[in-house]
Amino acid sequence: MRLFRNVDDTDLATFARSLREQPLRRGQVLFREGDLGDEMFLVRAGSIVVSKGVTGRVEQVLARMGPGDFFGEMALFDRSARSATIQADTDVTLLLLDRDALARLTADSPRAAAAFFQSLVHVFIERLRASGELVAEVTRWGLEATGLDVESR
Amino acid sequence: MAPPEAPRRARLELLVRRDGADDGFEVREIGSALAFIRSRPQRVPEDSFELAEVASRVDGQRSFILKNTATDRFLLITEPERFLWEQMNGTRSLQEIATAYVLKYGEFDFDVIPHLIRKLQRAQLLTVTPTSRLRKALARHRRQPVAKMAESALTVLERVNISSRNVQDGFRLAYRFGGFLLFTPAAVVLCAVLAVFGLVAGVRLWPDAERVVSGFGRSPLMAVLSVKLLFLVTVAAHQIVHGLALVHYGRRVREFGFTFLHGFVPTFYVDVTDIFMGSRRARVVTAVSGALVHLVLGSVWLLIALRATPGSFLQAFAAASGMIQWQAFVVALYPFCFIEMDGYHVLVDVLGIPTLKQDAMHHVATMLRGAAGPRFTRQEALYVGYVAVSAVSVAAFIAFNVWMIIHAS
Repeated sequence: MRLFRNVDDTDLATFARSLREQPLRRGQVLFREGDLGDEMFLVRAGSIVVSKGVTGRVEQVLARMGPGDFFGEMALFDRSARSATIQADTDVTLLLLDRDALARLTADSPRAAAAFFQSLVHVFIERLRASGELVAEVTRWGLEATGLDVESR
Repeated sequence: MAPPEAPRRARLELLVRRDGADDGFEVREIGSALAFIRSRPQRVPEDSFELAEVASRVDGQRSFILKNTATDRFLLITEPERFLWEQMNGTRSLQEIATAYVLKYGEFDFDVIPHLIRKLQRAQLLTVTPTSRLRKALARHRRQPVAKMAESALTVLERVNISSRNVQDGFRLAYRFGGFLLFTPAAVVLCAVLAVFGLVAGVRLWPDAERVVSGFGRSPLMAVLSVKLLFLVTVAAHQIVHGLALVHYGRRVREFGFTFLHGFVPTFYVDVTDIFMGSRRARVVTAVSGALVHLVLGSVWLLIALRATPGSFLQAFAAASGMIQWQAFVVALYPFCFIEMDGYHVLVDVLGIPTLKQDAMHHVATMLRGAAGPRFTRQEALYVGYVAVSAVSVAAFIAFNVWMIIHAS
């Protein structure tokens, strides 16, 4: 998993002990936008869909995630409500890391925690770029779907 | 130097949660182009604009000035643009408006539509609503299990589309190796002779109808369903002949495929839009030739039924197939049934009213609400006549089929 690529084997074993496995059947919702939570999840097997409500029963797909990807870390750090809904696209196996386990890990193994947070920052940067791309794509879709001419307004 | 590649159209991935289900959803990918052609542009209300005609004294050309009374913005539009403006009443999709435009002006320059939309949006004279009326109605009644089931079924079926845009060479080959024979005077004569013989066979079979259908034995309903299934195959032949007619007139077959019409009628289809660039004769021949497939097949089946052993399964099957093929022939060419089939296209072409059905439905709905005047113009009388004849025809068609099924059972 890319999140642990800078963590050495000894620390990795410590991490592994902090993780709990959680299965999710196809179509099942793990949590909804607005729910409270204090854990992050890593996808061990299968694929999940990240979506955000648009109108009624329609939601926009923000991302799809597969083995090695992770999500839910925002609530872990800022204690705010979930910003998106997560559902399983296939049968999924997740690994769960809660706030207490992360705090213990940071106290017991600061070096491993630093490596972990550094990987986290790299992924955040990638996601920020992807979000920008998505905003541009959605804007372009809106312009094309309505035939709106902005250039000569 | 190779021309620059066209930019990729944007796509959105939307997740639609199944109603009532806690953990059911599906992801739909929607291209902006599809959303655009299915959108229903809606002009501002009647009291928010004024339209005045300006006739040029030099070339006699008519143009129009459109004014947004709320913003005091003016637009100069041409005659075709005025036609398009009148279509933009929120009930017609851009696809339907484009078809009406082609039928009215015989031009394929669709750029005029997005160009006009941009002008109207700049003048704040237009809104665009990307919705389907049927789906909207079903969504409104989603709490009813029947509407919910219909909506789910439509969603699944609407996605079934097996088609190819690379069919012109195939049609050209089929035309070269025999298809051209269908467009000769000999084929017309043969068709007429078969029709007469088929009709005679049908008339001779009619008095023994009960004995004929008894050949189906104990499961007449299953037999009728298998006849219907075989009929579906002949719909493909109908569409192929349309395509051959296009090749005959030197036009291009853009697409051939299978889909569920309106989400529930299984059908084959061929894109014959290129024929709009041809003459009226070419358009009429293209429309009629497909339907003649049913006339020929119906006549052949009825002749087989007449020659078959009385009361046998073959006789019953052939007679039912003949009947259904003749029915398809009449329905395809009969313009008054609310369905825009071959006969309807010939009628609107002849009348020069490309949106006859939509205009007639709108007018009658206005009348029923009591908003129309007491006197009819000639065009309004045509609208009322179209709706009345179509309603009676559809009722008669349904009654005839129900009677046939009850009789067969």
